[in-house]
Amino acid sequence: MPLDEDKYPAESGRRRFVKGVVGSAALSTVGAGGAAALDTATSSAGIGGGTTTYVAIENTAGPAPRGMPLIPLTIESGELKGVWPEFDSERGIVINDDFGGSGIPYSSQMLQYCGLQTAEGVYPQADQNNTFRTGSGTYAWESEYDQGVPITVDMFDDYKEWGNGIGKDGLGKPGTGTWRSEGDVKTIPVQVLRSPEVPKIANGEGPYSSIPGPVREYFKAATEDSFMAWANKCTHFCCVPGYKQLEGSANYDAENKVYCQCHQSVYDPFNPVQKTMVALPRPPQ
Amino acid sequence: MSDNDTNDDVRTDGSGTGIVAPDDETPDWSERKERTQGLSRLTYEYFERSRREDQDLRQQSDYVERDVLAFPAWPHEMMRNLALTSFFVGMILFLSAALPPEMPAPANANQTPAIILPDWYLYWSFGLLKLQNLNPSLSLLGGQKLMADRTYGVLANVVVVGFVAIVPFLNKGSARRPVEQPFWAAVGMAGVVFSLTIAALSVQNLIPMDSNLLLDLTFLFPIVTGAITYAALRTMREGYMFNLNRRYYRLRPPK
Repeated sequence: MPLDEDKYPAESGRRRFVKGVVGSAALSTVGAGGAAALDTATSSAGIGGGTTTYVAIENTAGPAPRGMPLIPLTIESGELKGVWPEFDSERGIVINDDFGGSGIPYSSQMLQYCGLQTAEGVYPQADQNNTFRTGSGTYAWESEYDQGVPITVDMFDDYKEWGNGIGKDGLGKPGTGTWRSEGDVKTIPVQVLRSPEVPKIANGEGPYSSIPGPVREYFKAATEDSFMAWANKCTHFCCVPGYKQLEGSANYDAENKVYCQCHQSVYDPFNPVQKTMVALPRPPQ
Repeated sequence: MSDNDTNDDVRTDGSGTGIVAPDDETPDWSERKERTQGLSRLTYEYFERSRREDQDLRQQSDYVERDVLAFPAWPHEMMRNLALTSFFVGMILFLSAALPPEMPAPANANQTPAIILPDWYLYWSFGLLKLQNLNPSLSLLGGQKLMADRTYGVLANVVVVGFVAIVPFLNKGSARRPVEQPFWAAVGMAGVVFSLTIAALSVQNLIPMDSNLLLDLTFLFPIVTGAITYAALRTMREGYMFNLNRRYYRLRPPK
C-alpha cells in the first residue's frame, strides 16, 4: 500500500488536465501582462531611422554587410568641409533628395549605424561645424600636425607620389580625422583620401567606365580637387579600418584598399556603389 | 464451448504463460520497496534489532562516547568563517595598496589598435565570426547570399553551442574510459582539436599562413584527429579489455 494513499483529492487524468489548463493560462497571463506593463513603463527607442539609400565605398571581401558611406565634401579657403544639407523639419533629418543632380539622395541618416547614431554630430541641428579636423593620427605624416586642427589641402600636396611602403606608391595620400565632433562628444571618425584616381572615377575614364551614371554623378558632386572622404566605421562590428595602414593587409589583397583588422573586411575606395541600409533611430535629445 | 477457445482471458489452469500485463493495481518497484511486509520488513526488523543490541552494548560499557556530527554554527563555524573572510579581505586591501594602480589612456574611438583580439578563451567564438567563405551564395538568388556574413557568423556560434548542449542527450556517458566507446571518444577529440583550430582561425592575420589554407585545415584537422582517435581506440580495445578482464577475473592468457 503506497504511503500517500490517503491523499485527497486523488490524482487522476482529469485532474492533471485541469492543472495543465489552469497553469498555462496563469503563465500566459503573467507573460502578456508583463509585456503590457513593460510597454507602458518605457518610452520608445528614438526618432527617425529606417530605410536609407546612400553611396558607399564598396565592400569587396570579409564579413561586412555593405560599404562605408561616402561623405560629400567641399573645399573652402583651403580647408576640407563635409557637406551638411538643409534640415528637413518634416522628416527630422538633413537631406538633399537629388544630390548633385544624380537622383540619389544624400541624407544624414546614412551615418546612423554602429553607435554613430548617438554621436552629437548626426543631430541635424547640432552646434557643430562641418570642417574635417585631424584626429590622433595613424599615419606617420600626421604626427607633425596638432590634433584638432582643420584638415587642409596643402597637407596633401605630395599626393601624386606619396607612399608608406604598403601597396603601390602614388595611388593617393590618406589622412584620418573627425567630423562634427568638437568638444567632449562622441566622435564621428572620417578618412580623407586625395588620389589621382578620384577625377578619373568622376569622369568614368578607363576601368571606371562601368560605374553607373547616377553613382558617377553623385561621386563627382561629392568630391573636389581629387579629394574624397568616407565615414570610417566598419559596417561589420564597428571598428575603425584604414587605407594603407597595416602591413598585414597584403595577406588579404587589401594593400591598396581599406582594410579592417578586426575581421578582415576589405573596402575598395575607388569603387563607389549605391546601397540601401536600415538606419538606426537617434535617441531623443 | 466455442467462445472458450477464442477469448483472450487469462487462464489459471496452468496452460498459459501466466504473464499478465501490469495494470494500475500492480505495484511498481518503488512501491514494492516501500512495503512494510515480506522480505523488506524482515530486513528492517533485523537491522533494527542489531542496532538496538549495539546501543545496549554501548550503554553498558564505561567508555564515554560523544555523538559529535559537526561543530555548531556559533561560535565555532562562524569563527572559522570570519578568519577566512578577513584573510581574503586583507589580501585584497594589501594587493590594492602595494601594486601600482594601472590606469591606461582612455579608449580612442577614432582608432582601432593594429592587433585587436578578445580574451584568449573567446578566440573560438571570434573565429566563428570569420566563416564568410563558408556562407554559400545561391544562384537561385542571383549570386546573393541568403544571410549577411555577420548573421552567418553569429548563427555558427548558435550551432556550435547547440551541439555541445545536445551531446549529453545523445550519449549518457556511462563509459568509464575512452576505449569503451571509441566513437564518442573520437567525437570528443575532434571537438577539442576544433576548438584549437577555430581559435587559430580567429588570429589568422597573425599566423604566417595562407588564410584559405588555414580555413581548410581548421575543418580538416579535427576530422583527421577524430579518425585517428577512433582507429587507435578500436585497435587498442581488444588488448585493453583483455587486460582489464584479466585483472578483474584473474583469467589466464590464452596459449
